[in-house]
Amino acid sequence: MNKTILKSAFNILLVVGLLLIPRYVESPYALHMMILLFMSVAQGQSWNILGGYAGQHSVGHAAYFGVGAYTTMMLMHSKGVVPWVGVWAGMAAVVVVALIIGSICFRLRGPYFVLASIAVAEIMRLSAINLTPLTNGAEGILATEIPAFKIGATVVTDFVTKVPFYYIGLFLVLLTLAVTYWVQHSKLGYFFQAIREDQDAAHSLGINIALYKNIGLVISAVLTSLAGSFYGIYVGFVDPPTVLGLDVSVQIMLICIIGGMGTIWGPVLGSLILVPLSEALRSNMVTDLLVKIGMVNADSRIGIFLKENLSHAHVLLYGILVVLVILFMPDGLMGFVKKLAARRNREAV
Amino acid sequence: MAILEIKNVSKFFGGLAANSDVSFDVHEGMIMGLIGPNGAGKTTLFNCITGYYPPSKGEVIFNGRKLNGLDPDKVCMLGMVRTWQKVRPLAKLSVVDNVMVGALARTSSLKVAREMAMEQIKVVRMEHRTNFLAGGLPIGERKKLEVARALATQPKILLLDEVMGGLNPAESEEIIQLILDIKQRGLTQMVIEHDMKAIMRISDRIVVLTSGEKLTEGSPQEVVSNPDVISAYLGEPHA
Ligand SMILES: Nc1ncnc2c1ncn2[C@@H]1O[C@H](COP(=O)(O)OP(=O)(O)OP(=O)(O)O)[C@@H](O)[C@H]1O
Ligand SMILES: [Mg+2]
Repeated sequence: MNKTILKSAFNILLVVGLLLIPRYVESPYALHMMILLFMSVAQGQSWNILGGYAGQHSVGHAAYFGVGAYTTMMLMHSKGVVPWVGVWAGMAAVVVVALIIGSICFRLRGPYFVLASIAVAEIMRLSAINLTPLTNGAEGILATEIPAFKIGATVVTDFVTKVPFYYIGLFLVLLTLAVTYWVQHSKLGYFFQAIREDQDAAHSLGINIALYKNIGLVISAVLTSLAGSFYGIYVGFVDPPTVLGLDVSVQIMLICIIGGMGTIWGPVLGSLILVPLSEALRSNMVTDLLVKIGMVNADSRIGIFLKENLSHAHVLLYGILVVLVILFMPDGLMGFVKKLAARRNREAV
Repeated sequence: MAILEIKNVSKFFGGLAANSDVSFDVHEGMIMGLIGPNGAGKTTLFNCITGYYPPSKGEVIFNGRKLNGLDPDKVCMLGMVRTWQKVRPLAKLSVVDNVMVGALARTSSLKVAREMAMEQIKVVRMEHRTNFLAGGLPIGERKKLEVARALATQPKILLLDEVMGGLNPAESEEIIQLILDIKQRGLTQMVIEHDMKAIMRISDRIVVLTSGEKLTEGSPQEVVSNPDVISAYLGEPHA
């Protein structure tokens, strides 16, 4: 009992702390990093519902991320539809995409869903490149300004600073966490996990396998689409590779593999590792650091090589990270933490 | 009254007839034993009956309703559930969560499901394992977990596929008592078992399968004194 009270107290403090950050932190860069972190947690959490709990590993979540982002941006750009309306259209669009994939693949046994998920994401990416009248092709869509969010005549926010985005991002995190919590504590979560652990056993115990896989996919896709719409309006730009590329799908999956699949805190941990890591690589922080501590001379051939190439090496680094995690922590960081805690408890007794 | 009617069921795997033209009735409240040498087609028959795959020919009628082509989940909802010879625990879930999955076939409330699950965990005497991960249980308890989970779906008929396989005599005896307890509660059962002594003790009737065909059917006494059964078993020794 005491433990649950402590836990809720900790969670409340955490949320209050996060709510207060923009009041005290003015650095746009710091807020930007937090927003990226929020987006990553929301993506991971969305994937986790289907991949982590129901065991259906999608390698094509970029489809839902990208369709959400594109739908919102296209509607805003060509029809002047405000994003908080466009978001709903994005969600509706991904439900259609998800149900098409799900109703075909989830009837079949075997790895069809994994393969189809990659294929569908690629189809979406190619469509975005080729349906130029709608999507503006490979150039992508640039939103020069986002209409102010008004309730009646009062302007709630005009999206000039990063602060409104910070709060929307935080809201997305809390939403995806709440949905995951709800899934975990309902019949759905039990059925998802039964399907993950043993599909035939689940089927024989009265679970309609195809139906529940589809439910998991739709929940996951809708939440991912929300994250995509958010990305679109935050960055103000979408193009095929950045929202529909295979590495988007892989990154979403990695958040969960590294953090721990099928746990509430897994995607949070995974994001806490991946977001700073990819940022450090992107901004050449690692090379700068090596230069600063004198390990590498900036003008030497190695220094130049690192400066030019390390920022593109994130895929390689992710690969190494995944291998390490799978070898040493097959249940991700969260599984590792749980194991440590269990060991400590046993020793304490 | 026959709760389950199996009519001329055949199942082919390519050229192999794993079941051919098998017919018999299971009456309400009884224990039907199903025996036969390894590879006789016993598990295949369970698979055909419970919708794991449809029979190639013939009909399965449960409570007057034809089941052919119905998926296992629908069959379970109608009140017929099976356990697996090769046990299938939901390894990363606790014992109580495993059994709750079964109970959730009948309720959407986790609270009610938990109560239903605890009841069945008591029936198989595994209260001390309630919060253990199913993947870490020894084989004897995995077998009992299969039974508890199946019972939690509130079936009208329970199909047990070698729940004593691989158990020591004390554990087998416990399962025998469990099966008799379940019968006391009025549940119909069909039991596959290799242990002849056990199957003789618990069965009201026995069907013998060899090479996919029904060799004979009768009371335990009739079956053991049948020379064909004796030669089928002596001709093909089994584990
Ligand atoms: N899915 C399948 N595909 C092909 N052949 C199969 C399949 N399932 C079973 N068989 C074959 O059908 C025959 C009957 O198998 P089954 O498992 O029903 O026997 P059993 O009576 O349960 O045997 P045991 O006592 O060893 O459990 C065997 O020859 C087996 O190899
Ligand atoms: Mg068998």
